[in-house]
Amino acid sequence: MSDASQKSDSPGYGLMGLTAATVLVALGAIFIYVPTERTEGVVQRIMYFHVPSAWIAFFAFFVVFLCSILFLWKKEREWDIYAHASAEIGIVFCSLVLITGPLWAKPIWGVWWVWDARLTSTLVLWLIYVAYLMLRAQSEAGSIRAKYAAVIGIVGFLDIPLIHFSVLWWRTFHPDPKFITTQGIGTGNETSMNITLIVALGAFTLLYFLLMGLRVRLERMKDEIDRIKKERLYSH
Amino acid sequence: MNAYLSQVKAIVWKDFVTEFKTRELFSSMFVFAILVMLIFIFSINLSVVGANQVGPGILWVAILFAGTLGLNRSFTLEKENGCLQGLMLAPVDRSAIYFGKMLSNLSFLLIMETFLLPVFMIFFNVDIGSHLGPLLIVVFMGTLGFSALGTLLSSLSSNLKTREIMLPILLYPLIVPIAIGSVRMTGQILDGKSLADMMNWVGLILCFDIIFISVSIMTIDHILEE
Repeated sequence: MSDASQKSDSPGYGLMGLTAATVLVALGAIFIYVPTERTEGVVQRIMYFHVPSAWIAFFAFFVVFLCSILFLWKKEREWDIYAHASAEIGIVFCSLVLITGPLWAKPIWGVWWVWDARLTSTLVLWLIYVAYLMLRAQSEAGSIRAKYAAVIGIVGFLDIPLIHFSVLWWRTFHPDPKFITTQGIGTGNETSMNITLIVALGAFTLLYFLLMGLRVRLERMKDEIDRIKKERLYSH
Repeated sequence: MNAYLSQVKAIVWKDFVTEFKTRELFSSMFVFAILVMLIFIFSINLSVVGANQVGPGILWVAILFAGTLGLNRSFTLEKENGCLQGLMLAPVDRSAIYFGKMLSNLSFLLIMETFLLPVFMIFFNVDIGSHLGPLLIVVFMGTLGFSALGTLLSSLSSNLKTREIMLPILLYPLIVPIAIGSVRMTGQILDGKSLADMMNWVGLILCFDIIFISVSIMTIDHILEE
């Protein structure tokens, strides 16, 4: 492998530095800058982790969907790697949503869990992509695994709106999104809260790209090792 | 078009002939569905909760569980004697194989349901005779969506080592809209409402059916490849 390709494989220290700085700024904003919410108290600060995690989870699953389509179309291993990496990161952040949600709900609603629309659809979403990763783990490496995973990646994402509406009509009592409302972006909250949320969203998004870079690099190394192993095996 | 239809028909016919010869799938699905209902009846107290409230849910759980048995069988049977190989070597479009398998899964399940509904009526003491028309439409739409997505995933999971385990794990989260929608609609119909009162659910289930039949046609080429 040449030096140039190795360089492009590394996640880049620039991105790493920028992510670290933004995460620090976000932490500062969350714990020092932003005032404590009047009615909910200090627990409300969990929103700055909960909402960005949810955003990254959905974004990651959308990337899985796009890469799955591109894989079935172009049949390039590259897209399979991206879909796989993004699904794993999506599961991590989706799990964070499912963990921070009950922590926030317990003091405010008085219960850990309610069968509300958004909670239910997030749980179903989590199950879909856990199944996606299980499918990947169950099938042997190669183009068949990539194709099967791509089909689930597409089917799973197309199912999201249907799941959303079905559980919404089933029942709901989640607070309406305050940040993005029908009146526009950021009219429901205090300005400092909006700024903090935007910084947190930025930090999480950068973190997503950083993790993607690292995970993709790892997967490429695995491919490289497999290739070398095979070469050695056949040369003897 | 005629050639395509006769190809689909041939695959459905093949499945029916196999089933008539062995009779193993239908009987096991039907008995399993009754057992699922029975277990649920034991696990709830029917004198406390009304039959109309829990009945539709139990009916659909029985249908979906029994349907999974059928789906698991569907492509495994093809694999056993290299029949799938033969199907793929035949000069037919891959989507014809999908439609053939989907229609046979759908019809097995529908036949099973026509036997299951009277049992449901007796067990739960509900009157389905007066709402039979809308009820059959709801059952058909739900079963169609289940078979459409189920056949696609069954063709995929039949190649895995742990196929019987992976099919439900993949399928159940994806059919949440079918499960919720069908249970809701069945419950409302038993309460005496007409289909016009629940057009949102009808639309949702129809969307599910259309989206996943189209996705299956588009992606089946990639699954049935070697």
